[in-house]
Amino acid sequence: MHIRLLTLVIIAAGFSACATQGPLPPGAPPSGAPPSGTAQPEPQIPGQALPAPPERPAPGAPRQFHIGPAASSLVTQARTQAGAGEFGPAAATLERALRIEPGNPLLWIELGRVRLAENNAAQADAMGRKALALATGDAGAQAAAWHLIADSLRARGRDPEAAEAEGRAGTLAPR
Amino acid sequence: MYLDRLVTRQFEGRRWTLPAQVFAAPLELYTGLALSAAQLEQELQRLHYRRAERPERLGTYRVQGARFDVALRPARFADETRNAQLLSILAGSQGLESLRDSAGHDVPVLRLEPLLIGSIFPIHGEDRIIVTPQEVPSLLPAALKAVEDRKFDSHHGVDPVAMLRALWVDLRARQIEQGGSTLTQQLVRSYFLSSRQTLSRKVREAIMAMALDAHFTKADLMNAYINEIFLGQDGDRAIHGFGLASQFYFGKPLAELDLSEVALLVAVVRGPSYYDPRRHPERAHLRRDLVLKIMADQGIVTAREASAAAHEALGVTGRPAGAYYPAYLDFVRRTLRRDYHDQDLTEAGLRIYTSLEPRAQEQAEQALDRELTRLDRQRRQAQQPLEGAVVVTSPQSGDVIAIVGGRNVGYDGFDRALDAHRSMGSLVKPFIYLTALESGHYNAATVVQDEPVDVKLANDKHWRPENFTHQTYGPVPVVRALAESLNLATVGVGLAVGVPTIAQTLQRFGLSQSPAQVPAMLLGALDVTPLEATQLFNGLANGGFHNPLRAVRAVISTDGKPLKAFPLEVTQVASPEVVYQLDRMLVQVMERGTGRPARALLPANLVVAGKSGTSSEFRDSWFAGFSGSHLAVVWVGYDDNEPTGFTGSAGALPVWAHVIAGLGTDSWDAPMPDNLADVQIEYPTGLRVVPGCADDIVAVAVPADAALPSKPGCGFPDNANPLTTILDRAQRWLRGRAH
Repeated sequence: MHIRLLTLVIIAAGFSACATQGPLPPGAPPSGAPPSGTAQPEPQIPGQALPAPPERPAPGAPRQFHIGPAASSLVTQARTQAGAGEFGPAAATLERALRIEPGNPLLWIELGRVRLAENNAAQADAMGRKALALATGDAGAQAAAWHLIADSLRARGRDPEAAEAEGRAGTLAPR
Repeated sequence: MYLDRLVTRQFEGRRWTLPAQVFAAPLELYTGLALSAAQLEQELQRLHYRRAERPERLGTYRVQGARFDVALRPARFADETRNAQLLSILAGSQGLESLRDSAGHDVPVLRLEPLLIGSIFPIHGEDRIIVTPQEVPSLLPAALKAVEDRKFDSHHGVDPVAMLRALWVDLRARQIEQGGSTLTQQLVRSYFLSSRQTLSRKVREAIMAMALDAHFTKADLMNAYINEIFLGQDGDRAIHGFGLASQFYFGKPLAELDLSEVALLVAVVRGPSYYDPRRHPERAHLRRDLVLKIMADQGIVTAREASAAAHEALGVTGRPAGAYYPAYLDFVRRTLRRDYHDQDLTEAGLRIYTSLEPRAQEQAEQALDRELTRLDRQRRQAQQPLEGAVVVTSPQSGDVIAIVGGRNVGYDGFDRALDAHRSMGSLVKPFIYLTALESGHYNAATVVQDEPVDVKLANDKHWRPENFTHQTYGPVPVVRALAESLNLATVGVGLAVGVPTIAQTLQRFGLSQSPAQVPAMLLGALDVTPLEATQLFNGLANGGFHNPLRAVRAVISTDGKPLKAFPLEVTQVASPEVVYQLDRMLVQVMERGTGRPARALLPANLVVAGKSGTSSEFRDSWFAGFSGSHLAVVWVGYDDNEPTGFTGSAGALPVWAHVIAGLGTDSWDAPMPDNLADVQIEYPTGLRVVPGCADDIVAVAVPADAALPSKPGCGFPDNANPLTTILDRAQRWLRGRAH
């Protein structure tokens, strides 16, 4: 069995070496755009080369979201407001941040935390899931989203589901 | 005695009916914002900021190269107020490079004041913006007294000499003309009486004016006059008070008016229709100069100042400020009607903050009008002009940023975006395929049959739909069936997954009605408004998350208390995996299918996703599509539902493309969920291929564990596991040898 496998590997390797101009292409498929290190929206410059047809980061390609300076100052403001129990104004401030970086999962998590603080666990959960969908490739952001989902499930007395969500957070980035 | 009591009581308890003021979304400025210097200047001018040598007065700015120094006015937002301040903005070729305050400190983010876009006033009603004495330039009361009532400060409500003089003129003219009335009498006439002029009314007016004068201070009466008096008409809307008149004629706050502008408003007092500066600029000009001369004669200004002001143009804005966007205001009104009585909106002085983005709104208006004019020319025999509607949203928040209800954008009439219930045609297809993907039995590469369909209906009749081309295409992959909008393949898929299940999908995405569950629904026999279609597609543009579309963000009371907020809400209505797979197919609609004609009109590398819709006999032409940051839905058709002859691709698509191209939008670039794989398939057959081994290849996203048949003799590497890749290649090589 092992010998046969080894034979196949050798044959295959030999084949792919001599088949570069044949029907089989060499190497891996295009790996897609380089992972973007920041979610700060790039200014749209007409005519600037963007990949078309769309090529995107390979699933699992690691990246890390950051909050840009404009949204960051709003997050600071929102935290102060939320700290003073002003959840409505805090949420409004985070909405401003989200208009600047709508695709940044960290901001959705931030808003979800405010919703949770004002006992709107259903919206907190939904925002956690929205963040999760955006956080592909960023294990830290995914874990934070799962923590938010877990907390909002727990707030509604759904402890077993909460524990499961917490478990998923743990496997991504142990707290 | 009776009049005295009436006047005193009413005037004391006076509360002007204050129509709600409606504001657009404020523009957020921050470093990195993609805004050119020209666009920044446009935004400032939209708010009626004026270029100046030195930005000393509020509402002015100076441009030095790429640097803008702006004297920002104070601003009230839904959540806070901002003081007047000096802001320096560096606008580079890549967008805004820096924002600094007067001390040179970096400003991370700052909002321009929100544009007033209209007010909600009763039908045939008074509209006004109340100003406090502090907001009134001191020139205004001085000019009013000089021109209308020189003895205002000393008389007791009436000026007998002036009255007799006026009576003499009236008798000679054998008719009653205005004149000789004190400001107090004019106030009484406007506040308590109808404008009909009879002698007995004049007597009543005089008595009431004396009563007012006895009970109130001159300053109080002057302030009342400034807020009360009628100064113009805008359709059904009566412009009252100098606060609104300043916005209406000059588009800026009363406090910012200069001498010539104050003089023009004072000129208009005498006859807002006769001296209408838009309709009768020469008359208005002459009277303004007369006002200036009187002001100089009375020593309010110097002769030199008056003469300099007389040399200035009238300075009136092109079209009246406010009520620009009737379709959008219509949506605002309907949103608020759920929570407020009409009277609250028209009288209580609410401040309503909306999501409208004036730049997007104007782009959409222009794109619709321009393209419909072009399409009308193509249809020479047309007996009526084409109509249309556009709705634009920011999909992640559900903010509605623009609504166009028809070609005649200034006309507050039939709002097609909200009220035209039209057959959605092929716009329904994405929801059929979404339901199919959810069933787990389909993916983008699944081969489906495009073949004749014959459904026996409950009434024993037969339903035999056809393709647009009247041809059949046989086996096709799902991605192609959707891209080319093949009716027969779609009906086949729809019948297999079930009409009721598809109806449920539509309702999950926000369809409020319960659609008739007939097979024809699979081809879009379902009436929706453009706004409803937008709600449905917003969920696709937002990765399977539904947000109720929102025009209103917050309602604030006249004294600044938050009354109602419409916070951002999301609900997951489909899995991100399924929506991602579908959205990738909608990208192919633009690359290969019915959306392809848009490519020539869009920036070359902008990735967008969309779907055309054409209802039976070309009665409705739709296009719904989105980028990374915007969703736009366009409907084109005739109001009487006559066929237009245009498919969605020919009618609505060019409008859509121009709207999207004008927005300066980001590419659609949703992150691919972890458990999906990006694969290449042969477009005609759906067989998995690798680049180079077939001519017609398309990239689709499928579940990572989907077993796709591959094209014979055409391998594909598996990136995840090099060993299986090699084994796979070897096996195929061996198989190739065996043949």
